[in-house]
Amino acid sequence: MSHDALGAALAAIVGERQVLVRPSELLVYATDGLPGYRKQPGIAVFPRTRDELVQVVRLLAREGVPFVPRGAGTGLSGGALADGSVLLGLNRLTRVLSVDAENRLAVVEPGVVNVHLTRAVAPYGLHYAPDPSSQAACTIGGNVAENAGGPHCLKYGVTLNHVVALTVILPDGDIVTLGSADGERDGYDLVGCFVGSEGCFGVALDATVRLTRNPQAVRTLLADFTSMDAAARATSAIIAAGIVPAALEMMDQATIRAVEASIYAAGYPTDAAAVLLMELDGLEAGIDVDVEKLRTICLDGGARAVRIARDEGERTRLWQGRKKAFGAMGRISSHLVVQDAVIPRTRLPEVLRLIAQIGAAERLSVCNVFHAGDGNLHPNIPYNANDPDESARVHRAMRAIMRACVDAGGSVTGEHGIGLDKIDYMPRIFSPESLDAMCRLRAVFDPARRANPGKVVPVRSCREWTQAPATR
Amino acid sequence: MRESDGSGDKMLSGGGPGAPAAFRSPLRPRDTADVADAVRDAAALGVPLRIRGAGHWLDAGRPVPASACVLDVSALRGITEYNPGDLTLTAGAGTTLAEIDEATRANGQWLPLDPAGATTATLGATLATASCGPLASALGLPRDLALGLEFVDGRGIVVRGGGRVVKNVAGFDLVRLTVGAWGTLGVITEATVRLRARPEAECTMALDAPRETGTLALLLRALREAPLTPIATELVDATFRAGNGDRGSDAVLVRLAGNAASVAAQRRHVESLGTARELPASAWDRLAAADPDGAFTVRISHRPSRVADLWHAIATATAEIEGAVRHASIERGVVRLIVPATAHEVVAPLVRCLASHASVLGERLPRAAWEALPAVTDRLSRGVRAAFDPHQILNPGLLAPMA
Amino acid sequence: MSGSLPTAKPCAIPDTPLAHAMPGLDTCVHCGFCLQACPTYLALNDENDSPRGRIVLMRALVEGDLSLDDPAVQTHIDRCLGCRGCESACPSGVPYGQLLEATRATLTARRPLPAVVRLALGVFARPWALGTALAMGRLARGTGVASLLAGVKGRLGFAFAMLQSTALPIKRKNYTARGDGSRGSVAVLQGCVMEGLFAGTNRATARVLTVNDYRVVAAPGEGCCGALHAHAGDLETARTLARRNIAAFEKSGAELVAVNASGCGAMMKEYGHLLHDDPAWRERAERLASRVRDVSELLAAAGPRPGAALPLHVTYDAPCHLVHAQHISAPPLAVLRAIPELQLTPLVDADQCCGSAGIYNLVEPETSNAVLAPKLAHVAETGAALVATGNPGCLMQIGAGLARAGSTTRVVHPIDLLDASYARRDA
Repeated sequence: MSHDALGAALAAIVGERQVLVRPSELLVYATDGLPGYRKQPGIAVFPRTRDELVQVVRLLAREGVPFVPRGAGTGLSGGALADGSVLLGLNRLTRVLSVDAENRLAVVEPGVVNVHLTRAVAPYGLHYAPDPSSQAACTIGGNVAENAGGPHCLKYGVTLNHVVALTVILPDGDIVTLGSADGERDGYDLVGCFVGSEGCFGVALDATVRLTRNPQAVRTLLADFTSMDAAARATSAIIAAGIVPAALEMMDQATIRAVEASIYAAGYPTDAAAVLLMELDGLEAGIDVDVEKLRTICLDGGARAVRIARDEGERTRLWQGRKKAFGAMGRISSHLVVQDAVIPRTRLPEVLRLIAQIGAAERLSVCNVFHAGDGNLHPNIPYNANDPDESARVHRAMRAIMRACVDAGGSVTGEHGIGLDKIDYMPRIFSPESLDAMCRLRAVFDPARRANPGKVVPVRSCREWTQAPATR
Repeated sequence: MRESDGSGDKMLSGGGPGAPAAFRSPLRPRDTADVADAVRDAAALGVPLRIRGAGHWLDAGRPVPASACVLDVSALRGITEYNPGDLTLTAGAGTTLAEIDEATRANGQWLPLDPAGATTATLGATLATASCGPLASALGLPRDLALGLEFVDGRGIVVRGGGRVVKNVAGFDLVRLTVGAWGTLGVITEATVRLRARPEAECTMALDAPRETGTLALLLRALREAPLTPIATELVDATFRAGNGDRGSDAVLVRLAGNAASVAAQRRHVESLGTARELPASAWDRLAAADPDGAFTVRISHRPSRVADLWHAIATATAEIEGAVRHASIERGVVRLIVPATAHEVVAPLVRCLASHASVLGERLPRAAWEALPAVTDRLSRGVRAAFDPHQILNPGLLAPMA
Repeated sequence: MSGSLPTAKPCAIPDTPLAHAMPGLDTCVHCGFCLQACPTYLALNDENDSPRGRIVLMRALVEGDLSLDDPAVQTHIDRCLGCRGCESACPSGVPYGQLLEATRATLTARRPLPAVVRLALGVFARPWALGTALAMGRLARGTGVASLLAGVKGRLGFAFAMLQSTALPIKRKNYTARGDGSRGSVAVLQGCVMEGLFAGTNRATARVLTVNDYRVVAAPGEGCCGALHAHAGDLETARTLARRNIAAFEKSGAELVAVNASGCGAMMKEYGHLLHDDPAWRERAERLASRVRDVSELLAAAGPRPGAALPLHVTYDAPCHLVHAQHISAPPLAVLRAIPELQLTPLVDADQCCGSAGIYNLVEPETSNAVLAPKLAHVAETGAALVATGNPGCLMQIGAGLARAGSTTRVVHPIDLLDASYARRDA
């Protein structure tokens, strides 16, 4: 089917205004939240209803056309980019289909914005726990695809731990139900397989997610350190002490200053080398005992001061500053690379030192803003892409940082996903056999590899796999 | 590795008399490479394998052909890495829950998996069967606690999924694929799990539960919405209590946790909800040991708001069965029913009856009862099975009857 | 990351306003936090109609990937309301309003503005033409013609509904404002539309400032601020109007300039940027800009003095050019709280654009309506009898929408409410 004919066939399903075919209007879809990559789709289509979505996927199946699902395009691994193929926009499927407040469940369409779900269930005293920093914009569908995390995942778990069931349209147009909200089901954890599959296994028509009770009490603390090392050691000490904060975040000085220069200025001390933003939540009874414990660990670990948010307003400001920190780095330099890696929490001090050394050796400033409690690092480097020498140094530094994290026993991504960005690192952490196993799993859902092709696992890792003759 | 020491395997057979010589007695691999060799050979010859850890689960699931050769991974035992500061632990599949408990206890930590049965159960089997107990609703299901796995697939290929860190989204999720697959996609050889800090203070309360369904539903709802952060809330029936010398009605066992001030406040709240008294923590061990030898067990589940209804329906359906015990994780909406071996004849009709009310998941059932339950035969499940165990040699029949 | 860091291309449109604005484009890291703050994205769900998307289009113009006469670019740039809601969501501080003006100015140089826009801007730039138009408007309003035609379908009916909504919904009593003038001298921008259709609000502004101890002085010669021209890309006319205002206010000798139309206030606070490459005027423009205040800022600084009870049920909608462009959110609420017994119900998404955006509702009626719809729904949820908002465009847009939806809720400037409260006290 020609480009024009496909465009017309899609328009026949969704209406002309829901299809973009002109290159000049597809340009904005050539990037997601990680602007280092440009892959322009050939067509973009935006179904408005579940029925339209089903018809679109079936049309693409009949025509054998590859497609890339996309929510709000806030992903940070180049995962939602379609190289000449069809971009399947899910951001118009924005209905919260049902809320079962008593059982703390909600059924949502994939385009529901993360924070809108929390807003919709707020009257019941509930919220949706996974809170990626982009939660004001990103969609639940995208969260499911990436297995998104967020600061409060330290205590409450990532997206995987909050998805109960999914209705999925497979790339060949078949609709299947995975998991169940009405009791346990026998068999494989296909929900677990689908969550984090980065759009390669199909498209969720709806997701049944778990809601979380709002805590009775919340305490937000900001500890201010004169060295990164001390902040890192305090983090390890908190985890080792058996305290489970709802969140435990670290920001370094460069990050603090960027945030303080922005409209999200939170009153972070700009002369601190690092701050820890911590939150304890739970029952009112006894919470201040834990607050005191946390405060003592920080002060004993060299914190200059530990500030406790006095009211909801101050708490919101402290969190807004943290959540918008990555965006605020735009003011440091014209370009920015955003990184995501995980290390064992006990290795934080040494790996952070190593990262600082790598940055210094390449004459770059690394901005660290990350989920310290999980050991989930985000070393970001603002730089000027117009300077080829600086770009080359950024490349080298990034590779060295990833190597350091892998060598420390970590992983190349904690929450952003592999997408396009990390695909070359996959052979560093997985054996060829394990990569092939991933290919086999993908082939169960999408044997033709039409859904989000070329992402997550390098194609060369997928061996042609043929069934050996049966012996019996 | 392929000789039997002849001890402790009275309930098992090796491969049937028709099996190749090497598979006539249980295989006892010492390491992952041994497992891979064994599976590869079995795949080549088409010999079905019955994967065994401590042997606790061999009577569970759908029947596996007697011709299957036992692949005993209990020798893959021992904690290979434990860093208390990271709250992660890596151990061989044959490591027992008791060993892990002992190693972590000293640091005030635990792997909060408390499935029914003895703690001599192995880590590999617990993950493979996704077994868990009352702690799961607050502290995580096996799928939530497994961080990384090494397994040998049905062609003898060693595969690793996940990693050793607490947060990781690299690649497609082979860990979730394998946890709860009952060994049918691969033989788990090693696992990395997330540990949790043990609560600073704990207190278990037994709160008397009303008999009338509507009133019970109200109590359970009140408990779920109360200012409590229990790590377990389990409804147990009077039969269970009587068996433990604790006369009285049905009761909700609430395991309160937190710091001392928090636990004290929660205790007061529980006491305000009805007649409550404190139980020793050993009540939980007794619950885990509630299955008598040879008992049939089944889980009936629905949304948590339906627990009181299920509880009542199951009580009615089992009224005539002497010694039947129910307990329910109210937050997960799962009621577990234990029927003594003597009631063998009534199990199949009972299961058929329960399946008309809710989702029913068999653990240990007589052959006839399995026929009342849907097998795992959907397209994707068949697909993953074919992709990871193309020769259908790993625990064949366990999740779906043999074709 | 595997080897595709962006590399910049040479500029394809040197010496255009957009080329000069390139550093502003570079601030965008494409995080997408602006999407949900953008009324056109919320209405249309196309990233081409989002701030981030428009920045991609702007960059493509600069880098030569798209040409200035590409119809897609023009459509999506035209469709922007210029509400600057994105600036309030942007962590990296992208100067979106300036980028938009630069883009429109660059595009305008290549293509004529649409006829309706040219006509409207032409009228605003010529005091005699505007005076005539507004006089005709007042006539239509006074004779009831506007009310009669407000129900007519389409844009014409909407325009008359807008006109009708400029009538004051509460009784205005005359009183003599007294104060000690101790807070300094203030000249009030009378402007164009405000003086033409909301002259009563201009008088009320002088009175409430007086009551709060400001000494109000006249500034003969001031007029249209040029905001509509600047937003549409007609920077030359905007600069001419700005120079006229700067001169007039300098001559008045007032220490501060009070503005009761937030769109005008936002423009005047940016006179420095508007005239930044005019050496003769740059410093004068910056100096004046630094003296401009929204009237609510001045009143909040003074308290404001409480008036007499006014038992009305009111909700407040924040004009974009107040909350996003000037970052003023609390002062208007302080003004309303100075009125005893006034019941103030919060409006959901009060900081979202109503779709008015200068002359946008004339140029992009369909999108304007799509943006207005949720606003009307939220207003209805409050059950309030009055919507208070401090910008003529918003007053008319929301007022017309309510009237045509058959709602009895009316619109009012917060200053008119405070003035009515003072009048009662005085009586």
